[in-house]
Amino acid sequence: MRADSVTALPKPATPARAGGLLDRLRNIEPVSLLWVVLIAALLFLVAAPLIKLFTVSFQAQETGAFTLSNYATAYGRQRYLDALVNSLTLGLLSAVIAIVLAVPMAWAVSRTDMPGKGLTWGAVLGAFVVPPYLGAIGWILLAGPNSGFINQAWRALTGAEEPLVNVYSFPGLALVIALHSFPLVFILVKAALDLISSEMEDAANIMGAGPWTTMRRVTLPLAWPAILGGFILVFLETIALFGTPAIIGIPARINVVTTQLWQFFEYPVRVEVAAAYAMPLLLVTVGLIAVQKLILGRKGFVSQTGKGGERRMVKLGPFRWVLFAWCAGVGALAVVMPVLVLVQASFAKAWGRGLALDNFTLRNYALLLFEHEMALTSVWNTIWFSAAAATLAGAIALLVAYLVNRRLVPFGEVLGFLCMAPFVIPGIVMAIGFYAAYASPPLALYGTATLLILAFTARFLPIAYANSQAAVRALHPEMEEAARILGAGRLQSIARITAPLLKKSLLGGWLIVFIVASRELSAAVFLVGPRTRTMSVLLYDLSEAGNFEVLAAFGGILLAITLVLVAIGMKLAGRDFMLRRE
Amino acid sequence: MVRVTRRGVLAAAAVLGGRVGGAAAQEQPLPPHERELYEAARREGELTWYTGQMQAEPSEAIGRAFTERFPGVKVNVVRSTSQVAFQRLSQDMRAGVAQCDVFSSVDQSHLAFLKRQGRLTQFRPHNLSGLIPAVREAGDPDGHFQVTYLAVYLLARHNRVPEAEAPRSWRDLLDPRWRGQIAVGHPGYSGAIGSLCVALRKLYGWDYFRALERNRPHIGRSAGDPVTVLNAGERTIGMGVPSPTILLSISRGNPLSLIYPTDGTLIVPAPSGIPRNAPHPNAAKLFLEFMASPAYGQATRPFFAESLRPEVPPPEGARPLDQVPLLAPTAQEVEAGIPEVKELWRDTFGV
Amino acid sequence: MSRLVLRGLTKAFGKLTVVDSVDLALEEGEFVSLLGPSGCGKTTTLRMIAGFLEPTSGTIEMDGKLISSPGSVMPPERRQMSMIFQSYAIWPNMTVEENVSFGLKLRKLPSEEVRRRTAEILEIVQMSHLAGRYPAELSGGQQQRVALARAIVVKPSVLLLDEPLSNLDANLREEMRFEIRRLHDEFRITTVYVTHDQAEAMATSDRIAVMNAGRIEQVDVPHLLYTRPRTRFVAGFIGRTNLVEGRLAAGEIAFDGFALKAAQLADRVPVEAGNRPILLSIRPQSMMLHRTPPDANGRPVLPAMVAERVYLGESWDYVVRPRDSGLRLRVAAPPLQVHEVGESVWLEMDPHQIAVVD
Repeated sequence: MRADSVTALPKPATPARAGGLLDRLRNIEPVSLLWVVLIAALLFLVAAPLIKLFTVSFQAQETGAFTLSNYATAYGRQRYLDALVNSLTLGLLSAVIAIVLAVPMAWAVSRTDMPGKGLTWGAVLGAFVVPPYLGAIGWILLAGPNSGFINQAWRALTGAEEPLVNVYSFPGLALVIALHSFPLVFILVKAALDLISSEMEDAANIMGAGPWTTMRRVTLPLAWPAILGGFILVFLETIALFGTPAIIGIPARINVVTTQLWQFFEYPVRVEVAAAYAMPLLLVTVGLIAVQKLILGRKGFVSQTGKGGERRMVKLGPFRWVLFAWCAGVGALAVVMPVLVLVQASFAKAWGRGLALDNFTLRNYALLLFEHEMALTSVWNTIWFSAAAATLAGAIALLVAYLVNRRLVPFGEVLGFLCMAPFVIPGIVMAIGFYAAYASPPLALYGTATLLILAFTARFLPIAYANSQAAVRALHPEMEEAARILGAGRLQSIARITAPLLKKSLLGGWLIVFIVASRELSAAVFLVGPRTRTMSVLLYDLSEAGNFEVLAAFGGILLAITLVLVAIGMKLAGRDFMLRRE
Repeated sequence: MVRVTRRGVLAAAAVLGGRVGGAAAQEQPLPPHERELYEAARREGELTWYTGQMQAEPSEAIGRAFTERFPGVKVNVVRSTSQVAFQRLSQDMRAGVAQCDVFSSVDQSHLAFLKRQGRLTQFRPHNLSGLIPAVREAGDPDGHFQVTYLAVYLLARHNRVPEAEAPRSWRDLLDPRWRGQIAVGHPGYSGAIGSLCVALRKLYGWDYFRALERNRPHIGRSAGDPVTVLNAGERTIGMGVPSPTILLSISRGNPLSLIYPTDGTLIVPAPSGIPRNAPHPNAAKLFLEFMASPAYGQATRPFFAESLRPEVPPPEGARPLDQVPLLAPTAQEVEAGIPEVKELWRDTFGV
Repeated sequence: MSRLVLRGLTKAFGKLTVVDSVDLALEEGEFVSLLGPSGCGKTTTLRMIAGFLEPTSGTIEMDGKLISSPGSVMPPERRQMSMIFQSYAIWPNMTVEENVSFGLKLRKLPSEEVRRRTAEILEIVQMSHLAGRYPAELSGGQQQRVALARAIVVKPSVLLLDEPLSNLDANLREEMRFEIRRLHDEFRITTVYVTHDQAEAMATSDRIAVMNAGRIEQVDVPHLLYTRPRTRFVAGFIGRTNLVEGRLAAGEIAFDGFALKAAQLADRVPVEAGNRPILLSIRPQSMMLHRTPPDANGRPVLPAMVAERVYLGESWDYVVRPRDSGLRLRVAAPPLQVHEVGESVWLEMDPHQIAVVD
């Protein structure tokens, strides 16, 4: 450094000491304490149940001694192995069907001039909102081999003996599941397609490729990571599903891992064997995610450089009506038909009497609303558990996203990892882990609302975290720095600047978790006690009681509540709050 | 353990026959033993009832009738299949949590098991004296549980199948004519179906079920599931369906009919007991008194439950039990047999 | 007393040293620019002054008190400074008035005073008529003024600006440059201004610190930086110049093809014996081209040939080659002075404008 005549440094007035302890203490940020609290919370919510699950699978039931017998029992019978194979096959088939359903829809909405895009959005939203187990019940009414409306119509039209479709079959089960998981694929693929600039397609067109060739060889391959991601998501969701396989699978003689796990929870409860049996689900999930990361690795697919370029709609001519028919068809299958059938049953005195004017009654609803002890309680339970879980998950996710994004703590990635980890754990496995870890003494949370809220929080933390991360990332750190340099402390600037600016997306995230939690069955069914039954579990119980009309009415109530929530969400957080990157 | 003998029930039915018009029992003032319990119960304020004996509606109605008769004591009705109810009670016990005050199951072996484990309160309601003797004797001699429900399981047919062509016995179901027509519950989810399997295995051996599988029955979960399936028109013959469920459905106008099998209608005395660690023991005892009282019979009759007391008439549309052959497995047979038949079932039917 | 002192300030990220032992002292009320190409460490230095980054070594003192040192950094909110960010960082959910009064409200001043001072500053930056608008409704220049007002109204001890004009178009930039200097003069706030644009730095600053690769190359008043650059980098960075290497020996500086008497550069050439290389910076504007040998008056005159020429409108840009030399020198000439390529000319230099760069 050159000594300039003008800038000879003055003598330091205060001897420059290297910062005493008091100095450091005065300058410590409160966030460091926050980090400790968050780590503890995440360990409790995520790490402990998993570890407990793992250790319990090696414990003998009575003595707690180390043993491999649980694994021997879990995999000893052919039937159990068949269930595992069934689950994997079902997952594959459902995922394929979901891709087939959703990708044309996503392409149509994102890149073509197909009419009725609003309706298509509505169909996707509807399919997302109707819980899968409710849709399953509707489909029984539609496609039961003897009595389903579709088959009756088919027989009437063609005089055939055999049914057209049989919901009680492997393909039937897979289709019903796919009809409720395809929104996941739609959202992912559409988001990816939206980023592709028309210039990519133009480049192909100039060289002689028509719209279909371009779609096949340029557009869709660019969206390949999203398609793969959607495939994996649907696969994972399917193998962890409990309601639909119980309702349709049992009559169809299809035993899957989740219904088999249920058997291990029969009396006497064999948590140890259940844990051992659940391990493959976990391994498969982790493996798939790893494979996905590997395949997609460092390849660049969608150009991320600033200006994506303009996106023009591909003109399809008359063929756009074919696409519209496809979208409308999916919407009908996924939403309109099952819901109509359920609504009809809910207003029927005797479902077996079919559609008739004298078969109309409000009694089923009245029974639920005014007489049934548990119905209103379960609604209240659902609202309160879901709200608590959404708030807790949202708070943790925001704090972690903030700490990680602003790089305020060392090893922030660990926090982020713990937040996303539950994503790879099937809900039912998570529930068993929670049961194993916290249901018995010393915490003895069995049958309490706390257990369910904690399990829901852990289960939906990844959704909240992905949402918070995106929100925090979009917020320029200079917004807070501007406040800080003007005199606001860090917490103050979070409260007065960051939080208000993030309000909208935080609210959107809260609502998504709330809605998804309110329909959760697979995890809840293992953890509810008699007084903490949620609507989904009550619905499941009702499906065993043979009183179909009341069951349909309760399904109607569940749907109505969900729709109200979604409407509120759209009002407060924007029309697309649910359909942004999940 | 006293068997509910056919003779015993027939004798009871004979007493019943002709006695029509139950007096409105709840108008009567409370007898002293009930009054005492009531005082104590009112202080407790509520009770939780795990039951698999009847469907949701009748169970709720019973709860309401109880509170009507004993204001200030609320009943939390937790209705599911007996198997599931037992599962939940077991989970409670395993977790050391006391939630259940009264446990009612269609599966005697549940209560027998609990008694052996010393998990039941010993209590003999005064009102037991008014029950039909056979029913009273089917309860636990040591007073750990009593019969609060006579579950009756038989066949049902959709009216599409004319009476003349319908199956007349369990055995008839094996006829290939009924291929793809039958619907039945699952012993893993329903204690009643478990009992049915035990009884039929005793009668015909497990080969019966292997033959039944050739007819590809529709397997649901609870014993009442087939009613839904029949109403939907999906299948035409219901197997092992609880009589109240069918009668209720018929009363609503659904096109169904009962069939009393010639090789024996299954009756299962369904017991109730009080867990030892019940959080509201007095309310629980009062509830058991109630279940042995005429008021209970009045409350359940509209739901087609079989009557337990001479002064309460049998349900509308049901045949008197003295006129039909009966199947009545003993509690020991049921307890020993159910775990076995569950595994056998799963092996045979694949689910 | 110096307002702000940077002493051996260093910042390293892993193995990469971004700021390397920077020494700088600012007097009260001084306007100093940190000028340099991107990646030279100027923004990092600024952020350390603000307290957003912790120094790896070295210290920062303000008014004689230690405010930054490794392991102990006084948080930004306690430094009584203000900052204007490259993105302006105007809060979109607040109006202009709410943005500007934010700092005052934080200081818990009585609302009457807050209102008064906010109104005053808005008047000064000519934004009073837009006080109720939201940032989305403002142009870039207007947002910039809001940022200025917000930063100045709290009367900070030090004002920091991080490339505030880089997002504006050329005309606006000139206007705002002037505005910033005007506000500085009016309020006499000690100011540190980071920029890569030398014209901006020259127009606004009392002194400029030229930075390169984490180090300060030279700190000086603008005209001395221009006329007396002390390093090759500074010479090349500030304005255009010809950097000419030569050898100083025996009172003469020998270049490729010609020589100058050392005496002509008397006040700038070190008076040592010996033989050493020397680097000169000769600005294009400091030389003149003649058709005929001029009356030199002692100034060095060389015969040369025009190698290239470019007409720029405001001037001619000629590249000439002195005879017998491989050197190519850039010369600026007024627009009416036209020479053809290949023409022989006489190159006159002004020794007073020749800088010796070490």
